[in-house]
Amino acid sequence: MLLQLFSRMIQLIFVLLMLSIATFLLMKMAPGDPVLTILKASEGAVSQLDQEQVREQLGLNLPLIQQYGLWLWSVLQLDLGRSLVNNRAVWDLMMDRLPATINLTAGAVIVLLLVSVPLGVVAAKYKGKWPDHLSRLFALIGASIPSFWLGLLLVYAFAFKLNWLPTMGSGDIRHLILPSITLGFVMAPEYIRLLRSGILDALSQEYVRAARARGIAEWRILAKHALRAALLPVMTIFGMSLSGLLAGSVVTETLFAWPGLGSMVMEAIIQRNYPVIQGYVLLTGVFVVTANILVDLSYRLLDPRIRAKRGRGV
Amino acid sequence: MSLWIRSKRSTVFLGFILMLCLSIVLFGCTQDKVGNTSSGSPSETNNSSSSASKHVTIIHSLPNDTLDPHNTWIALRAGITETLLRLDENMEITPWLASDWEAKDERTWIFTIREGIKFQDGSLLNAEAVKASFERGITDSKALDAALKIDSIEASGQKLQITTREPYPAFPTELVHPTTSIISVAAEDSMGKVAFNSAPVGTGPFMVTSFTSGSEIRLTRFDDYWDGKPKLNEATFKFNADANVRTLAYQSKQADIVFHLSPEMLVSIDADSELDVNSVTSLRTHYFTYNPASSKVSDIHVRQALDKLIDRDAIVQDIMLGHASPANGPFNASLSFGNKEGYQKVDEAGALQLLENAGYSKDSDGKLQKDGKPLTLKLIAFTGVNPELPLIPQVVQSEAAKAGITIEIVSVEYPEVYIADHTDWDISTTSYLTSPRGDGGSFLNSAYVPGGSYNPANIEVKELKPILKELNETGDTEKRNQLTQQAVTMINKAMPHSYIINPNILVGLNNRVTGWKPGPEEFYILTHTLDVK
Repeated sequence: MLLQLFSRMIQLIFVLLMLSIATFLLMKMAPGDPVLTILKASEGAVSQLDQEQVREQLGLNLPLIQQYGLWLWSVLQLDLGRSLVNNRAVWDLMMDRLPATINLTAGAVIVLLLVSVPLGVVAAKYKGKWPDHLSRLFALIGASIPSFWLGLLLVYAFAFKLNWLPTMGSGDIRHLILPSITLGFVMAPEYIRLLRSGILDALSQEYVRAARARGIAEWRILAKHALRAALLPVMTIFGMSLSGLLAGSVVTETLFAWPGLGSMVMEAIIQRNYPVIQGYVLLTGVFVVTANILVDLSYRLLDPRIRAKRGRGV
Repeated sequence: MSLWIRSKRSTVFLGFILMLCLSIVLFGCTQDKVGNTSSGSPSETNNSSSSASKHVTIIHSLPNDTLDPHNTWIALRAGITETLLRLDENMEITPWLASDWEAKDERTWIFTIREGIKFQDGSLLNAEAVKASFERGITDSKALDAALKIDSIEASGQKLQITTREPYPAFPTELVHPTTSIISVAAEDSMGKVAFNSAPVGTGPFMVTSFTSGSEIRLTRFDDYWDGKPKLNEATFKFNADANVRTLAYQSKQADIVFHLSPEMLVSIDADSELDVNSVTSLRTHYFTYNPASSKVSDIHVRQALDKLIDRDAIVQDIMLGHASPANGPFNASLSFGNKEGYQKVDEAGALQLLENAGYSKDSDGKLQKDGKPLTLKLIAFTGVNPELPLIPQVVQSEAAKAGITIEIVSVEYPEVYIADHTDWDISTTSYLTSPRGDGGSFLNSAYVPGGSYNPANIEVKELKPILKELNETGDTEKRNQLTQQAVTMINKAMPHSYIINPNILVGLNNRVTGWKPGPEEFYILTHTLDVK
C-alpha cells in the first residue's frame, strides 16, 4: 500500500513536469502577446519602446529555455508568480476560486448520484419494461442537451418564470442549486447506462443465482451484490469526472457567474496570462493524479478480490 | 457474517461519499456567508427598496479578480474611488477631486486639490496623499506608468505639481481614466496589499463590505462623502459574462441596472412596463483596416469603391436592430471632435465607376477583373467581445458580390497577431474604443503612426504628420478638437480604414431607479445621486 502511494507520488512529479513543459511550449507557440495585454489595461497609446521595456522587465525577451528554467526555479520555491493582468499572486487567485469549484463539484456529484443511481438500478431491474424505456429516454435527452442550453432553460424556468432561485452568483446554498443540476444532469446519462449494463451483467452471474437459491430477497441482491459489482467501471469514469469537475467547468461557471477555477482560466487564456495558466495546469495535474489514486483505493473497498490479491502480495 | 461485513462496507462507502459531498457544500456555503450581509436573492432584492434600507443591484459583463484601483476599472465604476478630473455628460473634462489645474510649461502641470475631502478611512485628502497614490499606481501598474509618463511629483498643502518625462499637452485627459483613481496609501499600509485590493479605500460614495472574486461586490454608503450624502444605503455590483443570463436576471427583477443586453432579447423586455432599456452611444468604432502591402487595396480607387459598398444602414438596422449609428470617422460624430459630415451611403454605381477608373472591367460571368485576374479579396474577421463583429463582413461580402467582387472571409482569433505575421490579407475587421478619455489624440497616435499599438499593419498617412505634431504640442482643448477634426478629414481622404458603425451600449434600467443615466464612457456607474423609488 505504502509502496503504491510512493510510486504514485513519483508519478505525480513526473506528470507535473511533463505538463508544465508542454503547456509552456504550447502557450509560447500560440498567437497573442501578453505585453499588449498588460499595457492596454488603460486603453491608451502604447509605443514600441514601452513594449520593449515591459518585455525586458518580465524576462519575455530571454531565450525560451531560460524563461522556463526561471519559472521552474520559482515553482520549486513554491512561488507560482503573479498575474500579468492585475499583479495578484497566482496562488492567491487560485485559492480564491478553489472553494467555489469544490462546492460546485460536491453539488454536481450529489445531483449525479441522486439521478443516476436510482435510474440505473430501476432500468436494470425492469429491463425491457416502461421504467427501463423511461430511464433510457431520460439518458438520451440528457446526453443530447448541451450544458449551456440546459443551464439557460433552468434559469428561465426557476429564476425568471417561478422566481424561486437566483439567476447567478454565489452566496448561499440556493445559488448552488441550478449550476449543480446543470452539471449533474449533463453527466448523468453516461452513469445511468454504465450502471444499467453493469447491474444486468452482474445479475446474470452465478453468485447472484446462488444468492437467489439461498432465498435472499431480490432488492437485497440488487443493492448489495449487483450494484456493488457494477460500481467498479463506474468508479473509473467517476475518477475522470471528478478531476474534470475540480478543474472547473468553464461553460457552467461562466453562465452562472460562478466564481470557480474554470471561469478564471478562461479569462487567463483570452488574455494570454501565462503565469495563471501555468499555475492552473499544475493544480489540475495534481487533481487528476489524486483522483486516480482515490479511484484505485476505492477498488480495494469495492472488490474483495483486489484486496485479497494485494494481501497475498500478488 | 462475511456477506454482512461486505454489505456494510459498501453502504459505508456510499454513505461516506454522500456525507463528504453534503459537508463540503454546507461548509462551503457557510464560508461564503462570512462577510456577506444578504444573498441578493429575488425576494430580498425586490423588498429592499420598500424598506428603510435602499438597495440596488447592478450587473456588468466584465468579471474582476481584484479591486486594485490602479489595475482595473471596477473601483471607480463601483463608486469606491474617484479621479482628479472626470468627463461630463458632453464628454468634456471637468474638475473632480482637483478643483483646478493649469499648465506651467509643456511638461509641468499644477493641480489644486479640493479641500475638506475625506477618504473612507477618515484621513484627509491633500496633495501629499495624491502624490503617494500616483507613486503607488505607477509602481504597481506598468500600463499606468506607460500612460502617465510621470517624471516627478511635488506636493505642498493642496498644490500638486507633476512633471512628465516628455512634452505631454494631453496629460489631463489621462487623469480621467479609472486606473488613475486616488486611494489612501496609508490605509493600504495598515491593511496590507492583499486585503486592500479586496477592499480598497478611496474618496467615493461607497465602501466595500465584501468582495467575491469574479462574482460580486457588496457595498455600503460612505456617510461622510464630500459631495452630499449618497441616496442609497447599500448596493450589490455583480458580474456575468453571459448576455442571456444577464437579460433573464433583469427580466426577473433580480437586478435593477444591467449592462450590455443583447439587441435580439429586447423584444421580450418591451412587454414589461417596469423595465426600460437605454441605448447609449458608445465610444467604440467598428471599422475595416486595409492592408497597405496588398497589391489590390493599396489602390485608393479600390478602397473608395469598397467604402461605397458598405451598407451601413443595413448593418445598423438588420444586425444592430437600430442600436448603433453609422460611422464617418474614427470618432463618434456626437463628440465635440467628431466628424460632422454625413456618412457614406451604399452606392454601387459609384463604386463601379471608381473600379472602372482603376482599370477593372466585368468579365462574361459579371466578375470584376484586371489584366485577366479577378478582383478577389481576403477579409480577416474576428469575434471579439461583440457578437455583431463576425456578421458585418457577411453583409459587405454580399453587397460586394453584387458588384462583381469576390470576398473570402477568414476567421482568426487574434487579428492583430495575424496581421503582424502575415501579408496575404486585404481587409481586416477592427474594433477599438477610440476616445475613452474624451480626447482623440491617443487613438490618432496609436492607429496612424507606424509602430503604434493599434497599428499592426504599420499604416502611415504622411499628410497627417504635421497635424499630429501640432496636436501633440497643443494643450488648449478647443484647438485640440479642431486639429483632431482636421486629422479626421485627412484620414478620410487617404482612407487607410473604412469606418462602419459606432455600436450602442444597451443598459437595462428598472423604472424604480432614479437620479442616474448611463453614459457612453461606462466609468461612473454607482454614484451618490443614484436612488430608488
